Amino acid sequence: MNRRFTKKAIISLLLSLMMIGMAACGQEQAGGDQQNQAGGNEAKGTITVGGKDFTEQHLLSKITAIYLKEKGYNVEEASNMGSSVVRSALENGQIDLYWEYTGTALVIYQKQAVETDPVKAYEKVKEKDKENKLAWLNKANFNNTYAILMSQDKSDELGIKSISDLAKYVKSDPSALKFASNAEFYAREDGIKGLEKHYGFQFPTENVVKMDSGLLYNALKEKQVDVSVGFATDGRIKGFNLVALEDDKFFFPAYNGAPVVRQEVLDKYPELADLLNQIADKLDTETMMKLNYTVDVEHKDVAEVAREWLTSQQLIK
Amino acid sequence: MRGKNVERLIRALLIVVVIGFLVWAFISGAFQFIMDNPDDLAYLLQQHLKLVGLSSLLAVIVAVPVGILVTRPRLKKYDWIAINVANIGQTVPSLAILALVMTYLGIGYFTAVFALWLYSLLPILRNTIAGIESINKSIIDAGQGMGMTGAQILWKLEIPNSLFAILAGIRTAIVINVGTAALAFLIGGGGLGDLIFTGISLYDTGIMLSGALPVTLLAITLDFVLGKLEKWIIPKGLQRNLESL
Repeated sequence: MNRRFTKKAIISLLLSLMMIGMAACGQEQAGGDQQNQAGGNEAKGTITVGGKDFTEQHLLSKITAIYLKEKGYNVEEASNMGSSVVRSALENGQIDLYWEYTGTALVIYQKQAVETDPVKAYEKVKEKDKENKLAWLNKANFNNTYAILMSQDKSDELGIKSISDLAKYVKSDPSALKFASNAEFYAREDGIKGLEKHYGFQFPTENVVKMDSGLLYNALKEKQVDVSVGFATDGRIKGFNLVALEDDKFFFPAYNGAPVVRQEVLDKYPELADLLNQIADKLDTETMMKLNYTVDVEHKDVAEVAREWLTSQQLIK
Repeated sequence: MRGKNVERLIRALLIVVVIGFLVWAFISGAFQFIMDNPDDLAYLLQQHLKLVGLSSLLAVIVAVPVGILVTRPRLKKYDWIAINVANIGQTVPSLAILALVMTYLGIGYFTAVFALWLYSLLPILRNTIAGIESINKSIIDAGQGMGMTGAQILWKLEIPNSLFAILAGIRTAIVINVGTAALAFLIGGGGLGDLIFTGISLYDTGIMLSGALPVTLLAITLDFVLGKLEKWIIPKGLQRNLESL
């Protein structure tokens, strides 16, 4: 009896290991657009591009990866990581570059004071990260700061146009509005807690619904919540007819995107800086919103959208 | 005999490893979050229990009667449908079920309960059908020979004899449910998944463990309690049969 059981156990263990192995291989093949156009043997070198876990980051890392491939590098992609995870991966040398936001680096990794001015924020992080042997390339002109969103109708109905208006409304009737947040915004110091302190109001705990970042906008659209956190460059703000409340007391830091590269890698491939800056200089908030919209609302494939944009900018043929 | 010793040794090793891990985690301050925010944890734990409790209860209420129904002589021809539906349903990833349910019901607590209920139905249904069908035919024949009605055969023979399988199904379903309920957070259903996902997004092992550990302990505890319950529910006369299995 026992021996039969062990045999079965071993076989099923082997089978499950095989399945895990197969799943892992499958993942490596997923993601499309992985073929190396330059041919493996004549590549200039291998670059690993990292990315975080939301659409804009998928786009940025994909754009970067396709462009570098076109320019003759071998590119490996590691996307879908949380902010802190991707930063650690860069510091540990598991990835070579990714797109970071000035505000995130300033407050979360460098523990410096919040900076609402884009240029000052950029100068500060650039300076500080030199100690960590990380190079900030050109700051792109899109500011993907947090936004507090409402549906257009609800905002008109309640006359809430700014976060101050919202604070006033919540103070007068705390349980009236449901607020949607993702895990990160709820837990971060520059997230909901900081916002509530800054504007002097508080959502009751039972009125805050937490969910995956991707669902926040849908929750608003489907009227399951009244207010939600979101990102200023998200295409769904326009697509779902939402409004971003004005941050009239300047709480949210500047979050301009910029490629961050390990200095070691830059020294090895000096032309990388130029290549990445070409991308950074062509991006602004309007462009980013349009690209995000194409992916999130029109459900176009990320790789396709990235390639089309690069072509439209004459960066690739 | 040798097999028994090996089993004991492995079990002891496992326990040592688990306790060692817990001690290490505690020393390295991984549970700081729990110490600092006991209220948060209590709130989320209660949410988690509600998710699991309600969905499991509803699953038992629906799946056991359906399983009995499709094994009645009049419906016996169709029981393969139920078995196949249950088998196929079981292969769909739980996350996919959450996502599918969400597209129709929106987000929140009830969607999560509905999805978990759907997911727990299957193992219970499958085990109920299998349990009733695996009863030795001669027992049923004996019952019929004694002039029992269909209802009597069901209540006095079929259910007691298949109780072990049915309860095993329920136990499996509930334990799986505890783990799956951690995904409810993603669709605004709350629960301990909150801490796990917050931990992942902040890269904070402490917060992650503060969610993962209670989920694990909850599953182990429930498994243990349900195991004891099994012994208590199944008639004594049948338990001797089980030992010879």
